[in-house]
Amino acid sequence: MSRRGLSWFAFVVVSLSVLVFAAVDQGSPATNADKAYALAKDFACPVCQGQSVAESDVPVARTIRREIRVWVDEGRSDGFIRDQLVSNFGEDIDYTPSSSGVASLVWILPVVAGAAALVGLVVVFRRWSDEPDLAASADDEAVVAAARKRP
Amino acid sequence: MSNSSLGAASVALGVAAAACAVVIVALGLSGRRPGWFREARLLAWVMMFAATAGVVVMERALITRDFTVAFVAEHGSSQTPALFNVATLWSALEGSILLWTLVLCGYVVAVVVKFGKQGDDPMLAWAMLTLFVVAGFFFALMVGPSAPFDRFDPPPGYDGPGPNPLLQNHILMAFHPPILYLGYVGFTVPFAFAIGGLCTGRVGEGWLLATRRWTVMAWGYLTLGIVLGAWWSYETLGWGGYWAWDPVENASFLPWLTGTAFIHSVMVQERRGMLRVWNLSLVISTFSLTILGTFITRSGVLQSVHAFVESGIGPWLLTFFAVIVVVSLGLIAWRGDELRAPGKIDSPVSREGAFLANNVLFAAFAFVVLLGTIFPLIVEAIDGRTISVGNPYFERMTMPIGFVLLFLMAVAPVLPWRKASGEVLSDRLHWPAWIGAGSMVAAALLGARGWSPMLAFGLGGFAGGAALRQVALATRRQGWRGLVGRTNGGMIVHFGVVLIAIAFAASNAYVRQGEFTMEVGDSAELSGHTLTYEGSHVTEYSNRTEKSARILVDDVQIYEPAIAQYPFAGRTIGVPSVRSTWTDDIALSVLTFPEGSDDTVVLRATVQPLIVWLWIGGLVMAAGTVLAVAPGKRRRPTAPTSAPPAAHEVAV
Repeated sequence: MSRRGLSWFAFVVVSLSVLVFAAVDQGSPATNADKAYALAKDFACPVCQGQSVAESDVPVARTIRREIRVWVDEGRSDGFIRDQLVSNFGEDIDYTPSSSGVASLVWILPVVAGAAALVGLVVVFRRWSDEPDLAASADDEAVVAAARKRP
Repeated sequence: MSNSSLGAASVALGVAAAACAVVIVALGLSGRRPGWFREARLLAWVMMFAATAGVVVMERALITRDFTVAFVAEHGSSQTPALFNVATLWSALEGSILLWTLVLCGYVVAVVVKFGKQGDDPMLAWAMLTLFVVAGFFFALMVGPSAPFDRFDPPPGYDGPGPNPLLQNHILMAFHPPILYLGYVGFTVPFAFAIGGLCTGRVGEGWLLATRRWTVMAWGYLTLGIVLGAWWSYETLGWGGYWAWDPVENASFLPWLTGTAFIHSVMVQERRGMLRVWNLSLVISTFSLTILGTFITRSGVLQSVHAFVESGIGPWLLTFFAVIVVVSLGLIAWRGDELRAPGKIDSPVSREGAFLANNVLFAAFAFVVLLGTIFPLIVEAIDGRTISVGNPYFERMTMPIGFVLLFLMAVAPVLPWRKASGEVLSDRLHWPAWIGAGSMVAAALLGARGWSPMLAFGLGGFAGGAALRQVALATRRQGWRGLVGRTNGGMIVHFGVVLIAIAFAASNAYVRQGEFTMEVGDSAELSGHTLTYEGSHVTEYSNRTEKSARILVDDVQIYEPAIAQYPFAGRTIGVPSVRSTWTDDIALSVLTFPEGSDDTVVLRATVQPLIVWLWIGGLVMAAGTVLAVAPGKRRRPTAPTSAPPAAHEVAV
């Protein structure tokens, strides 16, 4: 293997090992406060415009933050917390659109559009590479031949 | 004459000038008015005068607290400090439209000055016509649904509430909206020339070259405006964040995404003559998204699908948006045949192939953001349910796109046009790749964990390395000139993007937040920092009363987050205090001083790494934009790398 090839090989090894290491070793485990904060970001403050429960300072958002923290401390699952909040405040508190019914379209449409774009690109490139490079016609050849004959 | 009458007169003058200009340019196009350009130029200046007069009158009314102007009565106050008094203009709808119109008139005047020598060019005429129609629309808004100079009859001793308190407690509010508008409105110019190109059938590169710098400048202003907006929200909203995917932010981000796609794909058209329809679509999308964004954020449609009809301005903006889209698509369909470009992309692994991929990704990004923003409205309209689409959706959908874009940003600048061999790639990407690997190793040694931030650091280092390589080569060849011009300036912009991407990944992944109820003398620990509550005090200002907590951070310095009461506005807001260093930020905000206890505070603290690099990255992007529009080394039109434009396009 050439020197350059070795260097690329080393690069792949180093990069992959750092990535795997970073994925496996999560460092210090997340505290309940961290878990509660991460969850609070996923729910809309019921009385605000465009702010999450984690962001807002209004009393109801602070109350919900406290509730989430209590549930996390009790060891409840994320699904349980979500169901509680949705039944208390309505579906629109959940910032994650549901994956069933009309709402699921928001997940599906981008994937469909992305796939369509990808297929479109592949087709376009196919067509481009199928196109023959311009070949000289008999007329062209005649013009060139005539030009060559001239002194 | 009262301010109301003066203001209304200037708006009327603007409407009249725009209407006359539309008629005159139309006559000029039909060949019945040979000297149309001189008259149109004069009318552009009249419009500029009208808009300037409108803004000056409104500022005068705000500064002198003339409450007979309804806008001042509703949004001004005798207590607002001078700077924010001036900024009150853009703190509410009517004033914003006025500012928008002024900026637009400024661009129109700049166009007539710049293109003054080509006064008889039909493409310029169509572009001017488009500009005058758009300007006329905005002047008309100020006559009807968004009239800034309506009268008010103030009772004796009346004083207004002042602007929304959140809009009068940070200096950035004075800069962020005007700069953002310079960006939004700036895209009107390339849009107008695109329409000009379509109408005249000169759909080649002429309109692109004519507006190249205008587009890049508008993009730069938009970039800076968005970054300043994020900074403002970080410094004033007190939740430790800077980007929340809320509809107002998304409205500014959408034209940025399509605009970014555009300034990349124009290079393919300039070099290879391809992607004509695509580029026209992008510039039209960018302009129409600025109008759609204004509709989304200003019409009240977000409260409910049905609220916008009552807002007055909503139906106008929506109709205007629809007209733009229908007319533009109609023109593209009409010119369909001429838009079919010769040539093909030889290989996906080439500069143009990378630009194509870049465009697909930016388009997908914009699609996701647009869909997520308007989806709740669609669902509400279809089956009456109210749902929310927020942070988790946007993060999950856009993160993969962001990673691939970072990767492309590393590879694309080193790719040659037409076709790249594996050898060339291996040679040119070798050091950038090792810089990427090095940044991952360094991050891991500094304690970074988690695959996704790590991947962002690696790709960021890779992209930064590729940009560095380009800049190093260019400066070695050309000295300081290697920093100016579109390609070199573009690489500086890439550095800024890399800084922002790394700071974004780090601050998102390693944010720590805590809420602490503290008595005087108590200390709390968060992410290795010590916060000690040392007491509180009250300060009276002209427009507010602030109760501040004295927080000693790491036994070094006192920070004073506060709660401010604005009696006139009847609102209480938090005033965060932020300690910034090169490595991490501590954002402190007071949630409440509980009643009945004099020496207790409920404090929220957010610790995030590398925040300051977001703002530095934004400034680097702005600086790179300036370098990119600075005249660099001109390529001779006869140089073999650039195809000579067709004869009729040289005139543009």
